[in-house]
Amino acid sequence: MANIRALDKRRKSVRNIRKITRTMELIATARFKKAMDRAAAANDYTQRITQIVTDLANAGLEVSHPLLAERPEVKKATTLVLTSNRGLCGGYNGSVIRAFNQTRSGLVELGAEPSVEVSGKRGITGLKFRGVKIDREYTNFEDEPKFEDVAVIADRLMDKFIAGEMDRLNVVYTRFTSISRQVAVCETLLPFAKPQVAATAESTGAMKADYEFLPSASSILEEVVPASFRVKLFKCFLDAAVSEQIARMVAMKSATENAGGIIKRLSMTFNRARQAKITQEIMEIIGGVEALEG
Amino acid sequence: MSDIQCVVVTPEKTEVDVRATSVTVPLFDGEMGILKGHSPLVGRLGYGVLRMQVDGQLQRYFVEEGLVQVNNNVVSILTDKVTPMTKLSPDLAAKATEAALTMPNTEVSEQAARRRALERARALTRVTKAS
Repeated sequence: MANIRALDKRRKSVRNIRKITRTMELIATARFKKAMDRAAAANDYTQRITQIVTDLANAGLEVSHPLLAERPEVKKATTLVLTSNRGLCGGYNGSVIRAFNQTRSGLVELGAEPSVEVSGKRGITGLKFRGVKIDREYTNFEDEPKFEDVAVIADRLMDKFIAGEMDRLNVVYTRFTSISRQVAVCETLLPFAKPQVAATAESTGAMKADYEFLPSASSILEEVVPASFRVKLFKCFLDAAVSEQIARMVAMKSATENAGGIIKRLSMTFNRARQAKITQEIMEIIGGVEALEG
Repeated sequence: MSDIQCVVVTPEKTEVDVRATSVTVPLFDGEMGILKGHSPLVGRLGYGVLRMQVDGQLQRYFVEEGLVQVNNNVVSILTDKVTPMTKLSPDLAAKATEAALTMPNTEVSEQAARRRALERARALTRVTKAS
């Protein structure tokens, strides 16, 4: 029976696949932890910069900056889509692309001229397949995005916005809310949302400080707003990286489990076929013996 | 106890968190020394050397643009990039100067970027020569 050999071969290959998916799961877990630590380490900066903004607001300063200016009409809108460079991460890229499609149709309804920038090979091929014109592609972001690289993009986008070549910037990425929950979202980063000022006594500390600004509060603001924008964009990249690893981890975990199930089923069929073959052989021998005796 | 806490953070991580007896920060228009009991302040940083006296030893870092906040004997330095001075050399500064000089210089945005790169390169040259 060739069937037995085929079954055995299949079982072996599934076993190999399980080994691979299991390893990928472990790698994704390790990378996820690293990415998570990086994301946590980045929080410090965000907190401190928010603190400075709060202090500025408490000093009675009107927070205004070209990046904060709301445009009455959205004529040109840029969408930045963050996907992964590698596949095998379940519905991660698919849901980002779906979220992007929604954003895009919303922008088209507004009558805006959309321009699309994509990070990640998967998103690039996926959007090209759907016939979307991509203006800029980035493939240099792996699971550990560098701030320097993100800052370059951020600076360019800010210049474009201030020069009036762009009225809105949307970022479509997977937001990390918790380990068990990541959602593909579209966030409007420019015009930059006015920094939320929590002017409660607890948040500013027990002692409200009377700050001296060097050289002046408005000059500090000139530095703070772009810095917050940069760090916000960086946070999007970090979130996307963390979510990607989680998605891959989950996908590979279920792949490993699936492979286990297949192996179990195959083993059962294999054992049955083997037993059937043995029984048949015995029957043949007995038949032969009986024929000789008779 | 005449020391202050000095924290240097970049968007990527907290680079330095030490207790120092004195901190000298490079503001955009010159340096400023901070000792214990300094009044609260927020300042704009320029390219330059951050110096800290930690346990009688001088620690030096090259910081790029950012902000400094002093409050309650805590000096927070928020910058895009910080490099220990030991990792810098005149060669590096020369390379930065060369790179800055070859940057395009036609459009307004390019000019601004070039000016900043040049400023950085000049600061690098200055600090590496001095050490």
